[in-house]
Order: sequence, then structure tokens, then C-alpha cells
Amino acid sequence: MMTSENSWIVAWSNSLGFPEALPQWLYAVVALVSVFVFVVVPSGGLMSYLERKLAADLQARVGPNRTGPAGLLQPIADLFKLLQKESRVDWSWKENLWLSVHTMALYSTLAVLPLGSMAVLVNTEMSVFLPFWSALVLALGTMLLGLSQNSVPGWFGGIRVAAQTLAGSFPALISLLCTGVRSGSFRWSALAESQGFSPWEWTVFANPFQMVAFSVFVMSGLVLLAIPPLDGGLSMSDIHGGVSSHLYGRRLSLFQFGRFYGFFFWSVITVVLFLGAWDLPAQVTVSLKAGGANQVLALLELIWLLLKTFGLMLLIVWVAKVNSRSRVDQITDFTWKVLSPFSLFALVGASLWAGWRAI
Amino acid sequence: MKESVFSAIALYVQSVFRGAWSIAGSCKTALPYLIRWGDLKKEVTEGYPDPISSKTADDLPTRSRGLLFNDIDRCTGCRECETACPSRCIRVESEPGSDQAKVWVSVFDIDFSRCIFCGLCVEACQPGSLVHTKQYEGAAYAVPDLVASFGRGQITEEHRNKWAMMRKLGESDGVAP
Ligand code: SF4
Ligand code: SF4
Repeated sequence: MMTSENSWIVAWSNSLGFPEALPQWLYAVVALVSVFVFVVVPSGGLMSYLERKLAADLQARVGPNRTGPAGLLQPIADLFKLLQKESRVDWSWKENLWLSVHTMALYSTLAVLPLGSMAVLVNTEMSVFLPFWSALVLALGTMLLGLSQNSVPGWFGGIRVAAQTLAGSFPALISLLCTGVRSGSFRWSALAESQGFSPWEWTVFANPFQMVAFSVFVMSGLVLLAIPPLDGGLSMSDIHGGVSSHLYGRRLSLFQFGRFYGFFFWSVITVVLFLGAWDLPAQVTVSLKAGGANQVLALLELIWLLLKTFGLMLLIVWVAKVNSRSRVDQITDFTWKVLSPFSLFALVGASLWAGWRAI
Repeated sequence: MKESVFSAIALYVQSVFRGAWSIAGSCKTALPYLIRWGDLKKEVTEGYPDPISSKTADDLPTRSRGLLFNDIDRCTGCRECETACPSRCIRVESEPGSDQAKVWVSVFDIDFSRCIFCGLCVEACQPGSLVHTKQYEGAAYAVPDLVASFGRGQITEEHRNKWAMMRKLGESDGVAP
């Protein structure tokens, strides 16, 4: 699974004094767990805080201001509150099963999460497509979780999630192809190398078609994973949160954190595909590599990537918080009739552009 | 007019752009609130009155509708509030007091677990005995604890004896009105 060139975790663990040459699977497990614990979970806390503060400002409210200075400890307080909540008693084994399928499908994408030139676990021509398989399994897990709940919100929520995922994956896949057309490969490393530090080297600004592909990719990701503002499949007002209506306490926190993770993951790959990935200015990269400061470089890349990711997420939150929610039929309608044609248009245009450049 | 392919496409593109424009419009509208620009810098929500916001109950707006209080001495037991209440949470029972002209409000219960603090009862109260206080913290551990009782309690033999005595002495019985 890991090749020597990108086994960043080996370098880290050796520098921390662990014996060399531990078994490969151990490294893989440590890599996944540490990405989750040190990158995803803190991002979740930070984003939930920023999102609430931003939403509050946009809507002329105050937002969290009680726990800690300016409400900074609110995510931690929320976590503990959810953990100690009692759960419902009539919880069936089927629901457990599908919740675990859902969760495993979600976090299996950790393996392909690209976090820097030296922090990519699976770097093959297929890595870009793996999230789509996971998204389909995720949708299946969510749908069956809903169907096994034996409740109206569960049934409708489950079916709606499946409908959204089917609708969203088509334009997402097509607009994903546009980036490959420009970089000539679907390896994370090749995608990053085809871009640069400054915005005019990013794929999104390469030509108007990539711009369209970028917009379609972001929006279809929101549809695919049912993220606000396009979250009709889990809407609160008409189906009480759909699949999540049956979840309480720990299970709810698992589910909600999973939704955040989906959002985060999609934003990370959007940044890698379209917004210049983790590329630092070329001199910085070269001089750090020459100085042997690979770990400093890895950290800087990670921070730069995460900054752009948070920027993108906050942009989406801004749109989500000031617009009315769309109904699920409007969402699927919009996805099939607007996003899909536009993604095809972008693919044709981007291919022609690339061909014209090649001549 | 027969619709041509081109006009259909033009309409489609136009509607897509109109949608995008309206989304951008609402984003733009909210922006001044985010950057606290001009006269939009004030938060509309009030901080909860407690030590953190350093506000007290006195800082609540003058017409804020807190927990209800009934000054039972002024209450005539007319049941106007009971009739006005949309959530039927007031229960009034009254009986003749020390003499026919006087009313003894034996039960006046407000069930705060059902009250929506609409203030209709206060508006209906002619003698002005029922008022909103500025008290705003009424949480309780059990639902029955949320019932506030302002009644004087059932008339007992003791009361009657006392009133009879007072009538004999020609004194006021102290029961209003
Ligand atoms: S405030 Fe409204 S709901 Fe509450 S007791 Fe008065 S009339 Fe009833
Ligand atoms: S509180 Fe006011 S409205 Fe209600 S019974 Fe007493 S006098 Fe009448």
C-alpha cells in the first residue's frame, strides 16, 4: 500500500525514536489514526466554532460566547454534552450494522486523503476516484440505515439521500475529469505539480472551462454528501433531519461528525484539484528540501492546504447561511438539469483547450 | 410564436444566471452585517442577563413578559384571564367570601409548563392584579413544580368563624375588595 517515497509516517516515527522497520500495516494504521486525530478532529472543532460565529455575524446574532474566551471552548463542551446523553433503548442491531457501514465507508477515504507532497498514502492513477466509491457505499449505508429505522423520516430521508448521491456523483465525476485533462494524470502528486503557489497557476483560473468545472465540482459535492445549503435529504423542516432523526447522543455525534468529515474531505480534494493543492513558492520548497528540513516542509504544506480548505468551507457556509434551504426535488432537479449539462460543457471545453495548447 | 432551439437555450442560460445572481444578491446583503459596516454593527439579539453578559433583570426591556404574578388582594376572581388564555393554563376557582359582595379566590393556578407568555391574560385583567414580572428563570426538576399557585386556599370553618366574629364587631375583614 505504501511506497518508500511517500511513507512520511516512517520518517516521523523514526525521528520520534521508534525502532526502524516496524511492519507495514502498523505504519498504515498509525498513519490513518494520526491523520484522524491530529488533522480531522481539530479541524472539526475549529470549523464548528468558526461556522457558528460566522453564521451569527451574518444573521446579526451573537453566537457562542459562554464557554471560554469568546466561546472558544464551545466545541469541546458540545462534545461532552453529546457523549453523556442517554440513548434510546429500542435501537436495533440493523441500525448498528448500517451505521457502522456508513462510518467505515466514510473514514476509508482517510487512506486517499492528500495532505501534502509527503503525506499521501495512496498515490495511484486511481486515487482520485476512490472517494466516489466510498461516497456510493456511504449513500448505501445511509439509505439502509434510514430504511432499518422503521420510521417515516428514516424511510424518506434514506431514499432522498440515495437520490441526491446518484444525482450528484455524475456531474462530480465529469468535472473531476476536467482536472485530469489539464494535468495529464490523476495522481495526487501530478495534480499538485501541474499547479503552483500563486492563484494564476491554479487549475481553476487556467481557463473559463476549468472555472465552470470548479463550480460544478463544489456544488455537486454538496449534493452528493447532502451538505448545507443543498441538504434536502436530511432537511429538518419536513422530515425532522431524515436519517439522523433516529440518532441520539453518541450515535448522533458520530453521524454529525461524519457529515463534517465529508464536507472537510470534499473541500480538501477540491483544493488539491482546483485551488493549487499544497504548493508553496518554488524557492521555499527547494531550499527546505536542500536543507533536509522535510518535516518542516510537510507541516508548512499541510498548514497552507488547510488554510485554503477552511477558506473554501467558510465561503460555502456563507452561501448556506444567507440563502433559504432548497427542497430535495429542487436539488435533484438542479443537479440533473443544470450541473450535469454544465459539467459536460466544461469537459468538452477543457479538452478542446488542452488539445489547442498541445498543438 | 414557435419556440426555436436557440430561444430555449437562451431561456435556460438566462434562468441559470438569474438563479446565480439571486444567490449572490443574498450573500451581498448579509455582508455588511459580517464586517459590521455602517449602522449595521449592532447585534440584534440581547445577551442573556447573567454575570457573563453583566446584565441584570432590570436591563430587560420594559415590556418584557417574564413569569406571571397575581396580586391576589386585588384579584376579583372574574375569570377573564382564564377565558383569554389560549393555552388554557390558568385555573381560577372562587367562592363567596365573608359576605355576598366579596369574592374569595380560593384557587388561582398558572401552569407554566403550558404558558406561552403571550400576555393575553394580563391584557384581559381589569383590576390589573395579574402582571408580568421581570423574573425569567423558572426551570424546575419536575413538571408539577411548574404550577404557580396564588390562590388563598379553600375556605375553612376557621375562616367562617373569624368572619362571623368580625362582622359582629363591625370591623373590616381585610378581604378585598
Ligand atoms: S401569558 Fe398567555 S398563555 Fe400564559 S397564562 Fe397568560 S394568557 Fe395564558
Ligand atoms: S387575575 Fe385579573 S382577570 Fe384573572 S380572575 Fe383575577 S381579576 Fe380577573
